[in-house]
Amino acid sequence: MSEYYRDQEHLYEVYNYFLEQVLRDEKIGPKMSRANIIIKFIYTDPESEITIDLKSPPAKEGMYGTFYLGPCDLKEDVWSKQSADHSHRFWHGFENPIAAVTRGKVKQGGKITAMLKLLPVVKPTFKRFPQVLEEMGYAEMVVKNR
Amino acid sequence: MFGNTGKIIKIDLESGRTAIESLPEAYYRNFIGGSGLAAKYFWENGDFGVDPLAPAAMLIFMNGPLAGLRLSGASRGSVAARSPLTGNWGDSSCGGYFAPALRYAGFDGIVITGRSSSPVWLQIDPTGVTLRAADDLWGQTTSETDRALKAENGRFCRTLVIGPAGEHGVRYANIMNEAHHAFGRAGFGAVMGSKNLKAIAVNAGKNRMQLADPQKFADLRRTLNQQVRDSITGMVLGELGTAARLEYGVCNGDVPIRNWTSSFWEEMGEALTGDALSETYLTGRKACAFCSIACKRVVRVDDGPFAVANGPGPEYETIVSFGALLGSMDLAATCRAGRVCNELGLDTISAGATLAWATEAMHKQALSEEKTAGMRLQWGDMQTYIGLLPQIARRQGPFGNLLADGSVAAARKTGEQTLAYTAHSKGLEAPMHDPRGGGHGLALAYAVSPRGGCHVATTMLPMEAGACYYPEIDFDLDLEPMTGRDKPLAAVVAAEIGAIENSACFCQFADREITLPQWVDLFNTVAGYDWNIRTMLRAGRRVFYLKRLLNFRYGRTAADDTLPPRMLEPARDGEPEGIQINFEEMKAAFYDLMGLDPQKGIPSREVLETYQMPAEASVVWEA
Repeated sequence: MSEYYRDQEHLYEVYNYFLEQVLRDEKIGPKMSRANIIIKFIYTDPESEITIDLKSPPAKEGMYGTFYLGPCDLKEDVWSKQSADHSHRFWHGFENPIAAVTRGKVKQGGKITAMLKLLPVVKPTFKRFPQVLEEMGYAEMVVKNR
Repeated sequence: MFGNTGKIIKIDLESGRTAIESLPEAYYRNFIGGSGLAAKYFWENGDFGVDPLAPAAMLIFMNGPLAGLRLSGASRGSVAARSPLTGNWGDSSCGGYFAPALRYAGFDGIVITGRSSSPVWLQIDPTGVTLRAADDLWGQTTSETDRALKAENGRFCRTLVIGPAGEHGVRYANIMNEAHHAFGRAGFGAVMGSKNLKAIAVNAGKNRMQLADPQKFADLRRTLNQQVRDSITGMVLGELGTAARLEYGVCNGDVPIRNWTSSFWEEMGEALTGDALSETYLTGRKACAFCSIACKRVVRVDDGPFAVANGPGPEYETIVSFGALLGSMDLAATCRAGRVCNELGLDTISAGATLAWATEAMHKQALSEEKTAGMRLQWGDMQTYIGLLPQIARRQGPFGNLLADGSVAAARKTGEQTLAYTAHSKGLEAPMHDPRGGGHGLALAYAVSPRGGCHVATTMLPMEAGACYYPEIDFDLDLEPMTGRDKPLAAVVAAEIGAIENSACFCQFADREITLPQWVDLFNTVAGYDWNIRTMLRAGRRVFYLKRLLNFRYGRTAADDTLPPRMLEPARDGEPEGIQINFEEMKAAFYDLMGLDPQKGIPSREVLETYQMPAEASVVWEA
């Protein structure tokens, strides 16, 4: 049972809003697109899937990549599987990604080195994620500390 | 004896006499091998009153029990002696190919004393041990010497060579294997040079190793090699080299910038990271003996002021010490600087750190142009820095001579106030991981490390990064880097496991993938130690204690377990900005956990006796 998400729809609602902002961000977006990869995030509890395409031309103007909520046909270069709650805490900056892989909380496959390159790029979004939750009226989902 | 050969070569360069000595099995069982065994040998046979560069000084090369067993990461070797840089007990580890060759020749180590009246090199082959004239090699660079020795002894001979820096007594001169792998730290190249010993070359014999349980070891080896090959660590290091995480480190404040005065420089992180090297100058990858990771880089820079021919490329420490630390984000310059240091036989960490100290001292008007012979140092002026290296290596001019002694000695000669610009522990320049961002436990680990500022003497760095934990001994704490919480206990575990790694001569990258029960199985199937996890960790602790005792006999006490203000003051920018390291609190807790005397810095008599070191206890507590 997820501590933060009611169901899949709820998770997609949050990440839709968040990723839209991240991939439009003038500082972060261009750096993400330089990774030139397709990443698939597989979440458990609730079962869900998000694919971020940083390889193809963005589908929407003003964005530096495209994301898909739910299963999609794109073949990923790298995948990462974790619980939705772990991901939620990660985007707050409260999970050490290296420790998570070492301890098996996150499973990964494919072109992992490319994903590693994205870690410093997305770090500035850790401040943004709690703000996004508050903007969406989900202040109770903000994780206060580790 | 299983695993180990039980035999070492003893050479007195003064008389030219060589002898084969058998070591008691208890030495191995209690002190494992490598740096632990070297420490034990010196404890029993060394003279503590001898200057590190005096003829009577003892230089010890020692293998671990796993050398040559075709296991990923397990064929490193150790060198140990009193360090000419720090005056303390020191050791240094090197990958490459020498340790297995020495093992195949039938020996666990080489102990060298005396000074030859003229330059010599040491030849070890199946016919015996011979000293050969090296007049024609003296003055040559490391790769020139390596090539000359291979021309004479065949391309499969394995070499340890010093460059001009070792010949001229530079206190951070290194010893190179195959002109690519370095016994980098603490200045043992200068010890070889002081003995007029230019090189050691081994042509391996075909000695078969006797293992305690060959079949079980063969199965274990298959499993472990597979584990290392399939690991994420292995994949990342193989693809991007040891600088793979540099950009992430910059983001966390782990990378020291402009002599540790800054903790964040985003563009530099992007410019120097392993990915950038792969996209620009990388032409190939190389591995140490039997290693499936292949983290070594081969590079070529075609043109510009830092052009280098195809050959050994820089690893993380060199990239930062000749990049960020000197205010540069020129990757070609790091390739060039690394190559020049290798050729001259200079440790890149101490070389970069000493230049960084000099630059800050000059900027603060503490180092006059009279002392620098008119030379101006500016952050990022890589041509000047690299141009200085040959002068340092040959102690040319007053400035080259000053810098050849390392940052701490140079600061003392220049003016006490310039000690404030040094970053070191016990006189050994700190490696390129800043504890203020990389992890406060690292500050403790640097300070209490017997050899001084060192990131590989313990496993603290990967523990704080989250790359390892030890559930088998109930150590599964999730360490937060920028606090002191749980760090004293972590430092105890890190010291024990680090001592095991450095005594087994195992690579810290490869052994991340090996669990503690698998470590125990390795020692038992190879050497028949009949250990369990507890007894193995006790051996690690014993090695740590013994090195503390060696330093005590060199006059070091608890007061020496500290860091200079530069490394402890709150960072001025980046992720760790303004955060204070509670160093004294961590140190006091560590001392309690380790049973160290708060003044002497050594274990109490009772603790030593608990660790089966009553004879050692008598020496230090009855003195």
